[in-house]
Amino acid sequence: MKKRALSVILAGVMSLSLLAGCATTTVEDAGEATPDTQTADTAAAETTSESSTESLTGEGDQTIHVFLYMQEHEKTIYQQLIDEFVEEHKDQVKEVVFEVTTQEEYNQKMIANMTAGDMPDVFYVGPAAVRSYVDNGYVLPLDSYVDDATIKSIWGTTQSIYRYDGKNIGSGSLYAFPKDLSCFAFAYNQDLFDEAGLEYPDPENPYTYDEFVEVCKALTKDKDGDGEVDQWGVACADQWGMTPILYSNGVKFLNDDMTKVNVANNPQLTEALTFYTDLTKNGLTPSVEQDTALGGYQRWLDGQVAFYACGTWDVAAFMDDATFPYKWNLCGWPVGPSGDGKSHTWMGSVGYCVSATTEYPDLCAELVAKLSTDADGQRAVSGISTGASIQLPNIVDLAYGEFKDAVNSGKVPYASNVDVIFGYFDGNDHYEAALQETDYTYNSEWFTPFWSGVFNIKNGDISVEDYLKQVEPEMQAALDEAIELQNSATK
Amino acid sequence: MAGNKVKVHRSAMAKREERWAWLFIAPPFIGFMLFMAYPIVFALIASTSKWTGINSLWGNIVGLQNYAKIFADAKFWKSMATTIIYMIGIPIGMILGMLIAMGLKRGIPGKRLLTTMYYVPVVSSLVAVSILWAWVFNYDYGLLNGIYKFLTGAHGPNWLGDEHMVKISLIIFMVWKGLGGTVILYLAGLQNIPRDYYEAAMIDGANGFDKFMNITLPLLSPVTFYVLITSLIGGFQVFVEVQVMTPSGGPNYSSATVVYYLYEKAFTNGQLGYGSAVAVILAIIIFIITAINFWGQDRWVKTID
Repeated sequence: MKKRALSVILAGVMSLSLLAGCATTTVEDAGEATPDTQTADTAAAETTSESSTESLTGEGDQTIHVFLYMQEHEKTIYQQLIDEFVEEHKDQVKEVVFEVTTQEEYNQKMIANMTAGDMPDVFYVGPAAVRSYVDNGYVLPLDSYVDDATIKSIWGTTQSIYRYDGKNIGSGSLYAFPKDLSCFAFAYNQDLFDEAGLEYPDPENPYTYDEFVEVCKALTKDKDGDGEVDQWGVACADQWGMTPILYSNGVKFLNDDMTKVNVANNPQLTEALTFYTDLTKNGLTPSVEQDTALGGYQRWLDGQVAFYACGTWDVAAFMDDATFPYKWNLCGWPVGPSGDGKSHTWMGSVGYCVSATTEYPDLCAELVAKLSTDADGQRAVSGISTGASIQLPNIVDLAYGEFKDAVNSGKVPYASNVDVIFGYFDGNDHYEAALQETDYTYNSEWFTPFWSGVFNIKNGDISVEDYLKQVEPEMQAALDEAIELQNSATK
Repeated sequence: MAGNKVKVHRSAMAKREERWAWLFIAPPFIGFMLFMAYPIVFALIASTSKWTGINSLWGNIVGLQNYAKIFADAKFWKSMATTIIYMIGIPIGMILGMLIAMGLKRGIPGKRLLTTMYYVPVVSSLVAVSILWAWVFNYDYGLLNGIYKFLTGAHGPNWLGDEHMVKISLIIFMVWKGLGGTVILYLAGLQNIPRDYYEAAMIDGANGFDKFMNITLPLLSPVTFYVLITSLIGGFQVFVEVQVMTPSGGPNYSSATVVYYLYEKAFTNGQLGYGSAVAVILAIIIFIITAINFWGQDRWVKTID
């Protein structure tokens, strides 16, 4: 009897220890729309492996705590900006604590801060998180602290994605200034075009779907003559590289108020997804199996594919001969027949915000404006003054002016067709971009079933129509859940 | 009076000793309360809420709603089934472990080297060896398919990219990873069996098989019991290798385990309340299975005395 009782207690402790183990780790995506998955390998090498804290002192009595994640070489530049800021405000500032960590650790620490009610004064917020941060009273509206000219100097997109009126994103008070704006453009390997004797893509006039297929056919070949194709027209990661092709045919996955999934009876999506999956079925991309062996990113770096996605964060790696020993340039994603005739892609951003509980909102707002829009700071991060471009300038005039000049003169190593990216940022007759729909919903769980099953179509296991019918209920259920969680954030 | 005096004196000392006792007990007790009891209670409460980490937990209590949803969630059941399928590796690992231990016990040359080799995977970082094995299993460039192609001239299976194959691949990995630990435990178990049992059996004319069935196997049963319990508990907690080798849970979610599902819900999709409920269910399942094991051990676990 005694032994049995002991058994039960032992069993209890063992299983409870599991529960405790599960409960003690708390991570939460702060909701940044920073698309970093694809370049995880290279990015991981560059990010700081350990967190660091610097403190800079002045003669005043105000102490502010800045908590961010960034890469080592970015940190040096921002450190200088903060030094300058302390110098400029030395009669007010007692100390600026500048804490930098990794993106992974950042999310955990922020949740801990929120749970403990002990927030830093300046931290990041992504477009996806603006709503819940505001609804829960974590961040301060900035419009009254920053002058209009400063706000107007940044990209239109970044002016609107951090606005929230209590109901919708895009209008109302401004809650953050962008650290950066990025987008997922398209790139081609010039050397492969030269070998095939093809004309380069026109940066001012993206291919149509049909033209794109023809070019890809000409670029798909068996180079070593062993009977197996070893160079393909294009490679796309279903999670990131599929949506620009679909968006460019006018596809939207959700209705306007983002409450209903619209995929089963969506002719534009059916058409675009057929086009997209046919690229693989017709052998113009590596097969599903080949893709599991080696992803498109590695194949692009290895010169095996002619077209590949190029996020603004990828440019530096592609410009580096050691990483990518080919000539390349930017172009637009192919345009479908049923859209608005423009090439579409998605953008991403993360912004600096000020804690609602800070003692020094004026000082924090000024610091945020400096980090985001200081001309010299932007010259440094964009490479105009440093020769190494970490990101594109946040200030529009600087981007079109000094930055483009520096690119054209070769001072900043960058793809010469940088106008493609500016076209996506700003929108024009041929280009248009928006945040992903998942950036506006509480989480992206509803989109996961969609992209993660597309390989079944490529494999020929299911038709596009059947697939869309099959996946819609699962997407809708996850979206309903996300809406419920979104509403639960509003007190 | 004198007795009283003595009593008071003892009591003061006893009190002092008791204070010291409390002081000694305090560190593990406080540790348990802070890092076990509190999180357990917290997880239980969170499991009844729509807590997201950002919103308020207390303002979003929804009762047993999460549990009801989990039982209707196809992905939960799929990941549970996969978790249980992976446990096929447990008996395989136990049988292999016992055989290798018996082989090593015979004092073959290079025993130390072999023992070390078997044990290396156990002490290696799980993430590191998972990355390594992802390459071993790679469809085009992997070690296994390289050997396969060399031997047969044909292309080998898509170890991690095929819905069924991926489960087999992960079982192979888990058996490899756990084997060293099992071998060491069985080796220790074998060392504890007194020689005279075998001598007595030999005098009685028992052959090798008889000795194994009637002496070795029964007397190894405490080790077998320990390995079984820890493997079952570990089996329900499989996560890292799945996350590393098949990010996004494998083709059509075919390699995802319950803990992977829990992680995805809680930390990718910000449903910390729902994730806590999955953790509670998992804890209850593990509790029941472990309890059954302890209850049933009288039937088959033999000790020397």
